[in-house]
Amino acid sequence: MVQFLSLKTQIHHSWPNVTQAVWQKYPNPFASHVLSSDVIDRNVNPITGVMTTTRLFLKKGVMPKWGRSLFNVRDAFIMEQSTVDPRDCTMVTVTRNLSHTKIMVVEETQTYTTTTPQTASAASAAAQTLLAPITQLRTDVRIISNTGWAPIKSRIEGFGLTRFKDNTIRSSQGLLHVLENLTHAQRSETA
Amino acid sequence: MTSISPECNELKKQYDDCFNKWYANKFLQGDTSPACEQIFTLYRACIWKAIKEKNLDQLISDARKEKPFNAANDTSSNT
Repeated sequence: MVQFLSLKTQIHHSWPNVTQAVWQKYPNPFASHVLSSDVIDRNVNPITGVMTTTRLFLKKGVMPKWGRSLFNVRDAFIMEQSTVDPRDCTMVTVTRNLSHTKIMVVEETQTYTTTTPQTASAASAAAQTLLAPITQLRTDVRIISNTGWAPIKSRIEGFGLTRFKDNTIRSSQGLLHVLENLTHAQRSETA
Repeated sequence: MTSISPECNELKKQYDDCFNKWYANKFLQGDTSPACEQIFTLYRACIWKAIKEKNLDQLISDARKEKPFNAANDTSSNT
């Protein structure tokens, strides 16, 4: 069985700032479970100008108490692959666990875009896009349990979903915290 | 935020500082020509050494062959 979850949110910050905050997200007070973060590969396509990045995270304790007695699961490595297209103002991050995939795979895709510009001219549309302090965030999640035992399988997927909802809230709180610091620093620079 | 390997922390910090400035002041402004290459080469070598020591390289290369990561592999050049 596979569970899907999709949600759309608005972040009241400009797209350039939001994408900067994604790079600077850790550490933050809402992410004490994130133990390490590294860029392991990064390149910019010279023709399209699109930047592709692979990051590796180590996150603490992913299992509930009842699961810990069944599976020997401690910390988990998470991989994220992302693209940033500065011309289209689109950032897409795809995240998946590398560890414990025999128990459960959680795949998360987050797409950060700007609101559709209303103006006709391309130049002013681009300018408006950069100035508009609203970023659209679409999150799509797929949770797949890989254990063969049905009662445990559905329990794991249910847990995955609940945990995911909690994490989503904490994750946006963390991003907003970083965004506040970022915009504060920008204001002091221009002042 | 610390690196996966304490040995790489200093290189990571230097690279992140360089990247964050480049990203805000060049990349987002439309100048996508690469920067921070020298420090990234050093940091990347340090990280990949740690990845191999922790036997994560096979997990990573397997993940890159599968969905959803296989779609993003294109022919772009290194930064």
